Amino acid sequence: MIEFDEQNKRLVLKLVYYGPALSGKTTNLLCLHDRLLHEGRGELMMLDTTDDRTIYFDLLPFFYVAPSGFKIKLKVYTVPGQVRHDATRKAVLQRADGVVFVADSQAAQMNNNFESFDNLEKNIALVGLSFDRVPLVIQFNKRDLKGIIPEDELRETWGPTGLPVIMASALQGWGVVETFRDVVERTFDAADLRLGLQSRFGVDRGDFVATIMRIGQEDQ
Amino acid sequence: MTPDDQTPHLTFLVGEEKRLAEIISRAEIEPLLRSALAAGFSRASVLDDHNLPICALGDQPMLLAPVIPEIGHALYVEGEPCGRLVLEVAEISSHYQAVALVIRDALQLTVNNNLKRMLTTEVHTSIVQESYEQLVISNRSLAESESRYRELALDLERQVEKRTAELKTAYAHMLQQEKLASVGQLAAGMAHEINNPNGFVLSNLNTFRKYITRFREMLEFYNLLTTRDISLENLRRLSKERWKELKLDFIFLDAEELLKQSMEGAERIKKIVADLKSFAHIDEAPDADVDLNVELERTLSVLAPSMPADAAVERCLAPLPRISCNPGLICQALMNIIQNSLSSRETGLCLRLATALEGGSVVVTIWDNGCGIPPEHLGRVFDPFFTTQDVGKGTGMGLTVAREIIMSYGGTIAIDSREGAGTTVIIRLPQESGGR
Repeated sequence: MIEFDEQNKRLVLKLVYYGPALSGKTTNLLCLHDRLLHEGRGELMMLDTTDDRTIYFDLLPFFYVAPSGFKIKLKVYTVPGQVRHDATRKAVLQRADGVVFVADSQAAQMNNNFESFDNLEKNIALVGLSFDRVPLVIQFNKRDLKGIIPEDELRETWGPTGLPVIMASALQGWGVVETFRDVVERTFDAADLRLGLQSRFGVDRGDFVATIMRIGQEDQ
Repeated sequence: MTPDDQTPHLTFLVGEEKRLAEIISRAEIEPLLRSALAAGFSRASVLDDHNLPICALGDQPMLLAPVIPEIGHALYVEGEPCGRLVLEVAEISSHYQAVALVIRDALQLTVNNNLKRMLTTEVHTSIVQESYEQLVISNRSLAESESRYRELALDLERQVEKRTAELKTAYAHMLQQEKLASVGQLAAGMAHEINNPNGFVLSNLNTFRKYITRFREMLEFYNLLTTRDISLENLRRLSKERWKELKLDFIFLDAEELLKQSMEGAERIKKIVADLKSFAHIDEAPDADVDLNVELERTLSVLAPSMPADAAVERCLAPLPRISCNPGLICQALMNIIQNSLSSRETGLCLRLATALEGGSVVVTIWDNGCGIPPEHLGRVFDPFFTTQDVGKGTGMGLTVAREIIMSYGGTIAIDSREGAGTTVIIRLPQESGGR
């Protein structure tokens, strides 16, 4: 949690898109930027990149104001996936309220997925968060490609973890909004449990999610 | 991360909320507002999210003055309104609106760029901070392990010194033990050698004592006869009969033989003791001028008891200059080598001893036709405790001791051997010993 100001009725939450290099984290944010209505969000800020690869992070902010006047800002970040940027990943991961792990579905990338997931587990502990408590959604991206691991096989592998697993193609634009909705709902629930957003601040869960997830006209 | 209390610790939270005034400075705003005034606006200001001015230029607002129209534009941080640009002008026209838009865009661009710069700086700083802290930690642990290894190295040196000293003592002790052991072996041989003649001397003397009673009986018989009044003829006859009864003819002959044998036995003992004394050089000063030929003979005679009966000893001894050394030690070395030869073959042993003077060195060659030494053992024969004999029979120190002694006089000892054919040991001692 970046900020919780009870007096000014303001909450700032942080979501982080984690995952191995080139798994499509920035593409996820670009897709959300394109698909979701402009009213509820700010502009996508992409910090310096080299060869189109993220070296700092990308940021896409979302806003919600409840009828009670309580404001929630949701800042969605990506991390650089390359192994060498571990310090940056740790810095971005600090005080995250929810995490999306974007895995690459290609069979050749399975090792990178596992290594990155290990890295996430380690870094979550290093920045003082609890792996069991941070809402986490797994997205298997690049379902449009050939040479990918079949879905039932992935579900068999990841099913026992109890984590939600969502298939997606950020390039074709499907599965991305679903992933986002899932992590937003879980993040809201976790914050609600801690702060009593619904009971104490009159924030309605359905309204919050619907506002954040407003989809552009052409997609409806 | 556990930063030191002393290190100034900056903590950034990526994504921390920022107010407009934190992102853009007065100095950055002022030139833009100045150009607004130049373009004709009467007053230009940038307000924060609480409507408080961050920077304001132009006419001071006056109470009771007529309301001046204004053009207002919101400024955004991360898409969220966080302040306003307010430009006042008496009469709003499209010209002023266009200028206001340009200034708004310039301000917004500066805000956006500043925010990006701040975010990258924050990430960069926190990474630098973290890597510095890791460096401090790894430096500390390196320093710790370095001092640990230094201690270990020092300790190792001490341990090595201690162990070396211990080994030296143990080695010296073993050498002493070996000397004592060979003296013990020697003593056992000597005891047997002395016991033998001593045995028959005692037995002879015992017999001789019995003979003396016969002599006394004869003499007493004479005494008795002289007290009686008997004829000379009778006297002769009676004494002759008694003489015969007592078998005195035989006893006299035998007694003479017994004494002769006993004398020989005693002589043998006398010689053994003399050999032993000269071998041990009990009567001599530690270092003396020594003729190695003499010492070889002494050693041989001391070893005579353990020499196999059918052994053939050949000597080829050249006249040698005397060399200065402790004869007792030299004999010990020779004995250790020759003993090996004696035990190298049970029957048909041939031992050849040669001495020569070669280029300022006295050379002693001891050759035997014994079992020889297998090649794999040849390199180890001088090693302390190396032995192929059964436990208790050899200490494995014989050649070690011999080499110690030879080397202490600046000499060398070499062994050549072929398994099954025999062994040659060559000792070289410098004529002018460097002394011990």
